[in-house]
Amino acid sequence: MIRTLDELVNLVLSSGQKQRIAVAWAQDQNTIEAVSLAVINGLAEAVLIGNKKDIIKTCKAESVDHSIFTIVESKNEITASQEAVKMVKTGQADIVMKGLVSTDKFLKAVMDKENGIMKPGAVLSYVCAVQIPSYHKLLFITDPAVIPFPDLDQKIAMAEYAIEMARTFGIEKPRIALIGASEKVTRHSENSIHYAVMCKMAERGQIKNCIIDGPLDIFLACDRKSQELKQVETPICGDADILLFPSLESCNPFYKGLMLFAGGELAGLIQGTLKPVIVMSRSEKKKSKYYCIALACLLAERNM
Amino acid sequence: MLKKLEEIRTIIANEPVKKLVLAVANDYDSLSAVLRAAKDGIVIPILVGDKEGIQNIASSYGYDISDLAIVHEPDTDKAVEIAVKMASSKQAEILMKGKVGTSTLLKSVLNREWGLRTGKLLSHFALFEVETYHKLIAVTDVAMNIAPNLQEKIAIINNSVDCLHKLGVSNPKVAVLGAVEMVNENMSATLDAALLSKMNQRDQIKGCIIDGPLAFDNAVSLESARHKGIKSEVAGDTDLLLMPDIEVGNVLYKSLVFFAKAKVASVILGAAVPIVLTSRSDSEQAKYDSIMLATAVSRKLQ
Repeated sequence: MIRTLDELVNLVLSSGQKQRIAVAWAQDQNTIEAVSLAVINGLAEAVLIGNKKDIIKTCKAESVDHSIFTIVESKNEITASQEAVKMVKTGQADIVMKGLVSTDKFLKAVMDKENGIMKPGAVLSYVCAVQIPSYHKLLFITDPAVIPFPDLDQKIAMAEYAIEMARTFGIEKPRIALIGASEKVTRHSENSIHYAVMCKMAERGQIKNCIIDGPLDIFLACDRKSQELKQVETPICGDADILLFPSLESCNPFYKGLMLFAGGELAGLIQGTLKPVIVMSRSEKKKSKYYCIALACLLAERNM
Repeated sequence: MLKKLEEIRTIIANEPVKKLVLAVANDYDSLSAVLRAAKDGIVIPILVGDKEGIQNIASSYGYDISDLAIVHEPDTDKAVEIAVKMASSKQAEILMKGKVGTSTLLKSVLNREWGLRTGKLLSHFALFEVETYHKLIAVTDVAMNIAPNLQEKIAIINNSVDCLHKLGVSNPKVAVLGAVEMVNENMSATLDAALLSKMNQRDQIKGCIIDGPLAFDNAVSLESARHKGIKSEVAGDTDLLLMPDIEVGNVLYKSLVFFAKAKVASVILGAAVPIVLTSRSDSEQAKYDSIMLATAVSRKLQ
C-alpha cells in the first residue's frame, strides 16, 4: 500500500522503468523546472515539444542541461499539443503533459475524436491524492479541476475514477464520502438527491468496490469525534479515503486551502484518458508537481 | 405482524368500544356490516340518514335497532355534514361512508371550518391476508393519491407506519416498489425509492426500516431476493408495500383479491379520525374487517 506521496515516488523509482513524457509547448521556466527534476531523479525521460530556441534559452536560465531532454520543434501551442498527444497514441511516449499551452487548447487535442486519447464514451474528470499532516492518511478528492457542476452520471464516473485511483494505491475497498453541507437529504439540494441515489446504487452493486455514504459534511467524513458527537450512523466513521465534492467550486478551494494553510502536497491526474495526462496549475508547489509526474509514471507503468 | 385479519380483534380486545358514525346510513352494503360489527361488540354505531330507510334495511337483515342511536336526516349533504361534525367534535371516533359518493364525503371531511383536517395528507391503507404470505401485508396507496411525489410518498409512509404501530408492528419493514431492484435514472420510482431509503437511514423518516427499489418478487420472497443477491433487511419480509402510483396499486389490489383470493381491510388515514370508505364492490366481509381495522387505528398508543 502507498501511504505517502514519497512512497509513491519510491515505488516508481524502484521499478527501474523510466516512462517517457511528451510535454506540449514546453518552453516555460515552470514546466522545465518540474520536468527536469523528474528526469534528473530518474523518474522519467522527457520529450519537450515547442520552440527549440526558447526551450534551450529557458534551460540555460534555469541552469538545466538541455541535453537531458529530447527537443522537438513545433510551430505553435496547438500543433505542439497535437504532436504530444500523437506521440502517446503511437507509442513513442507514455505520458502527455501540458506546458505553457492553455488548458482548453491542450484538452482539445487530448479529447479529439480521431486523434485524441480519450477512452470511448468516458467522462473527463480529475482526481487528486492529497497529503496533509493533520489527516491520518492520504485523501483522494474529486473533481477540483474539470467538471463545474457534475450531474448524476458524472458524479458516478467521478466516484469510479477515485475508487480506481485509491485501489491503485492499494486500498482495496476505499471509503468514499459524498460531501455536502449537511447529512440530510432534501429536495432543495439536488446534490443530496444524487448522493442518496448513488448510495443505493452501491448497495445494489451498481457502483462497486467501495464503502460509500452521503450526504456527509467534512466533519462527519473525516473526524470520528464529530461522528460520535452527531450520532449519525455512517459506515465512513470519520475515516474517509475519498471525498467527492458537489462542484468544482467547492472542491477547488478545498484543496487550495489545504495546500496553502495546512501544509498539503498533492498528486493529481486527468481521468478518462487511455494514457496518463498531466495537467497542473502553475502555482502548484514544486514538490506537488513532482508527485504529479510520479503518479503519471506509476499509472503508465501499470498500463492505465 | 398478525397472520389473519380476524386477529385484529385481539388488539382491540382491551380497548373501550369505539363509536362509529355511518354517514347516510340507509345503505344496504355498509349498514349490514356495521350492524354485524355492533352485534359482535366491535363498535357502537351512530346511524345518520333516512330513519325509515335505515329501519327497513335493518329489519330486512333481521336486526333489531331500537337501542341504537339514529339521527334522522333524509338530505344526503346534510346527513354527511352531521356525521363529519360528530367526528370532529369527538362524539364519534370512526367515520364511515354509507349511501353517498366518495367525493361528497371527502369534500365534507376536508371542510376547513368543521371538517377533519389535521394538516396531514389523506391516504388509503389496505391490509391483506394472503394465504401464500407468512403475515398480513399492507399496501398503500391504491385508491387516494394518484401519482404521489416524494413529499407525498413520505406522508403516505408516515401515515401507514403510524397505523402499523397501532397494529402492533413496532418497526415495520417498508418496501418501496419498482419494476426492478436496480436504480435506473429513467424510472423515477427507483430514484424516489433510493431517496426514501437514505432519508430513513438519516432518521428523516422514523419508526420503520425502508428499502427500495425492490421489485415485487424481491419484496415478498426471500428466495428471489437471495437469487438476485440483494442484501436487504426488508426483502422477503415486507410489512408495507409502497406503490409508485395508483395504477400499479389498484391493479395489485384487485389482482390479490380476484386471483389470490386475498381478504382485505382498508381505511383512510390522515384525517382526525379513521375513515372507512369501502366501495360497493367490496364484500360484506371486507367492510366488516375494515371497521375492525378502523377501531384498531382509532386507538391511542401509550
